[in-house]
Amino acid sequence: MTKRSAGTTKRREKSGGVPTIHDSSMTKILIITAVLSTALMSSWAAAQGAPVGDAAKGAQKNQMCTGCHGIEGWRTAFPEVYSVPRIGGQHEAYIVKALQQYKSGERSHYSMRAIAAPLSEQDMADLAAYYAQGGVKTAGK
Amino acid sequence: MDRRLVLMIALLGVFGASAGAKAADLAAGKAKATEVCQACHGIDGNSPTADFPKIGGQYPDYLAKALRDYKSGLRKNPIMAGLAQSLSAQDIDNLTAYYASQPATVSTIATHRP
Repeated sequence: MTKRSAGTTKRREKSGGVPTIHDSSMTKILIITAVLSTALMSSWAAAQGAPVGDAAKGAQKNQMCTGCHGIEGWRTAFPEVYSVPRIGGQHEAYIVKALQQYKSGERSHYSMRAIAAPLSEQDMADLAAYYAQGGVKTAGK
Repeated sequence: MDRRLVLMIALLGVFGASAGAKAADLAAGKAKATEVCQACHGIDGNSPTADFPKIGGQYPDYLAKALRDYKSGLRKNPIMAGLAQSLSAQDIDNLTAYYASQPATVSTIATHRP
């Protein structure tokens, strides 16, 4: 065998060993894509002039929230029993997204869907600003 | 025949107890959190970016409900669906107990009108 043919064989081996995309790296790619698209979408929303929340106005609109979210340790009653989440100090954008998803039906909870349905984008922004800033804190751990 | 029946009932009891009553393991929860959750939610649940909710000090049963819903597909999110899929019921117990035990990042805000 000449040196040349040995080299050819080597090259062949290399090209035969092209790494296949394994499940784990595929998952990583999917996660990265999802994260990036979420980031892009939120910056797009900001560029489109999503309403800016006013916490003081939010404080005037939270009558429907306090009955459950304003009571430490309160639990849902139907159809499944679990603690109503603490939302004071939560990220503003996350609260807006949750309300939008309840309104659109993407997130399903009977009470929250009914409560979010009549809210405008401005209402959601105001409520999110109010809760994200934190009003009067009680026992919260 | 009777013995078999007794054995079956005993086994059911054992499985039932291990499925329902096994205490959450905080150390295992932290290990799993380091592996699965930390990148987005932070190791203490105080997520650094607004795209991901803060979960430190949240009610454990609420967190567990969210994870179960992501796993079943009731709640839809491309990132959480994949991650929740890999979690066992015990993982969910451990993780939610761990994050609930972290310093509060969220709290209850009582009725307040200025």
